[in-house]
Amino acid sequence: MDYMIVGFQDVLNPTTLFWVTAGVTLGYVLGALPGLGKATGVAVAIPMTFYLDPTAALGMLIGIAKGSGAGSAVSAILLNTPGEPSSAPTALDGYPLARQGKAQKALKMGLYASVIGDLLSTLVLIMLAAPLARYALLIGPVELCAILLFSLTFIGGLSGSSMTKGMIAAAFGVFFATIGMETETFVPRLSFGLLELDDGLSLVPLAIGMLAVAEMIVQAGNIKALDHESAQIVDGAAREDRIITRDEWRRSIPAILRGTVIGSIVGILPGLGASVGSFISYGATRKASKTPEKFGTGMIEGVAAAESADNAVVPSSLIPLFALGIPGSVIAAILIAAFILHGLTPGPLMFVQQPRLVAGVYASMICASFIMLAIGYFGQRLFALVIRLPLRHIIPGVLLLCSIGAYMDTNSVFSIYVMLAFAVIGFFARKLDFSFVTFLIGFVIGPTLELTFRQSLQLLDHRTVNLVHHPIAAAFILLTLLTVVWLGRGNGRRVGMAPAVAAVPGLDTTPGDTTEIKRED
Amino acid sequence: MRRANVMAGVILAVFGLVMLVIVIPRQIGPGPDGMMSPSLVPSMMMIVITALSLILVISNIRARPVDARAEPAAPISRDEILALVRILGLFAVALGLHLWLSPLAAGFALVAGAQLVLGERRPLLLILVPAGFLGAIWLLFYKLLGTAIL
Repeated sequence: MDYMIVGFQDVLNPTTLFWVTAGVTLGYVLGALPGLGKATGVAVAIPMTFYLDPTAALGMLIGIAKGSGAGSAVSAILLNTPGEPSSAPTALDGYPLARQGKAQKALKMGLYASVIGDLLSTLVLIMLAAPLARYALLIGPVELCAILLFSLTFIGGLSGSSMTKGMIAAAFGVFFATIGMETETFVPRLSFGLLELDDGLSLVPLAIGMLAVAEMIVQAGNIKALDHESAQIVDGAAREDRIITRDEWRRSIPAILRGTVIGSIVGILPGLGASVGSFISYGATRKASKTPEKFGTGMIEGVAAAESADNAVVPSSLIPLFALGIPGSVIAAILIAAFILHGLTPGPLMFVQQPRLVAGVYASMICASFIMLAIGYFGQRLFALVIRLPLRHIIPGVLLLCSIGAYMDTNSVFSIYVMLAFAVIGFFARKLDFSFVTFLIGFVIGPTLELTFRQSLQLLDHRTVNLVHHPIAAAFILLTLLTVVWLGRGNGRRVGMAPAVAAVPGLDTTPGDTTEIKRED
Repeated sequence: MRRANVMAGVILAVFGLVMLVIVIPRQIGPGPDGMMSPSLVPSMMMIVITALSLILVISNIRARPVDARAEPAAPISRDEILALVRILGLFAVALGLHLWLSPLAAGFALVAGAQLVLGERRPLLLILVPAGFLGAIWLLFYKLLGTAIL
């Protein structure tokens, strides 16, 4: 608690608050623009934070992630085209509301639900991460290796339409992480004589290429359809339809609380992501309603359910990252690079080694929730105008920022080459449905996986039977095998999701969304 | 998608075999005696990739053939391939300008070129938008953050 007070002292100063606000605003705009999600925003913004102090930098990046989650409702409601796939269920009732001239009402409910879901989930993160981390400290290399293997298999199996493809992507991620000097023997691996590769591939240009540049290329290939969508904005909010009535609040509060609980649980589980959370929450609220048949025609609690769960996922997905050092989502994987860069290595030890910085991160997360409320409330009309901007003016700017971001990582043009190479890989991965989320998570956990694997081989004396002395590891290996069998047999991810997604008109007209909807954020 | 999956599987399987047989043995030297080989994990990953790629090929070949009309269109459209080639070409030009002229020219060419590629033809916007972006970046890094990018 003492550290939390110090954390708030570190955050509640004009400079830090300015950068958190800038992050939330940027995230809101990026979230509102279809295809430009939180992961893209954070990846591009990491190099810009090099020169900020750690609390401001991490606050800004988390602000982008949070703002993007809330901003994605804007295009879902006004355009029927979710800014991010996780806002697809928001469009189911948000767009009909907008067509009834109640866009402002839907936007406000989307914002309030987002803020409540996000804030409560942040509190869950604060309460759970540190206690879980204490248990994590008891885990040895054998157990950690088994947990990482399980996480990677679980994520690989869930984030895509095919488990085989997910596993291939995961293996590629681990493979690319092995490039560079091997840490035990100092033998260069796959560096082709290039000195730049001796240190391995850097996550920042790799993530910028795979996430941002590849997405911009896909959008550039579909620019006519996307600009046509932007031109169809409905802008007809009657004065009496702008506020949320007491009766609507009464109906929406249970939906928001339910969505927050679902989103928080889904966020903790690696690989499921915000899309699953928002769809489950929407479905649960519809099931609990006395008038389920009215869902899809403009029910305000549908917007509340989807948005609260969507935004509750972001903070709670940091729980496995903070407690175990395992990124459960792509945003967590990218944030690892930022955390390390600013002197905070995610994992159980960070609570012992950097308690003040951790408290600062928590405080900035709470502040970001309130800033999100203010930015969203006062800027909603402005953000509605931003999504009218033609993509031919947005894409060039994003490409420029990507190049600067990649260059700044190493102050070398080589990073831009890396970015472009992975943009091509990311483009084909998107189009052929190989989960680049799994690839990125594989890349991030690859070095730890390799290290713990080597240590495990030595600790187990190269004998599998010695696993009996490590029951936790044995349990996770068994879980991994069961996951492979379960997912492989049923190929059963996204059960029940596809019809719901297909039911969102406009989704299929946005290439970014049709591919994104299968993957995790 | 079945056809695309088969092609992708074949390409990845061949890639995996080439890596296993040619690239990894040549690019990763043996480690010191008594230590585990540095090529252990890269080789393991390539074995996994090759095996899974073969599974992808076989499972898609064996899958029940669907009506050609029901089969969705090719996963990558012509416009998307053109966008990929054009944007990569644009980056090549911008990198050339960066190396042989100046970073400012490279940035200007990247933004203006991308606008042109994406269909913008109004001269005023072709000048103002790149100038605006470059100006905003100068303001952010050199004035607000107080640091040089280059």
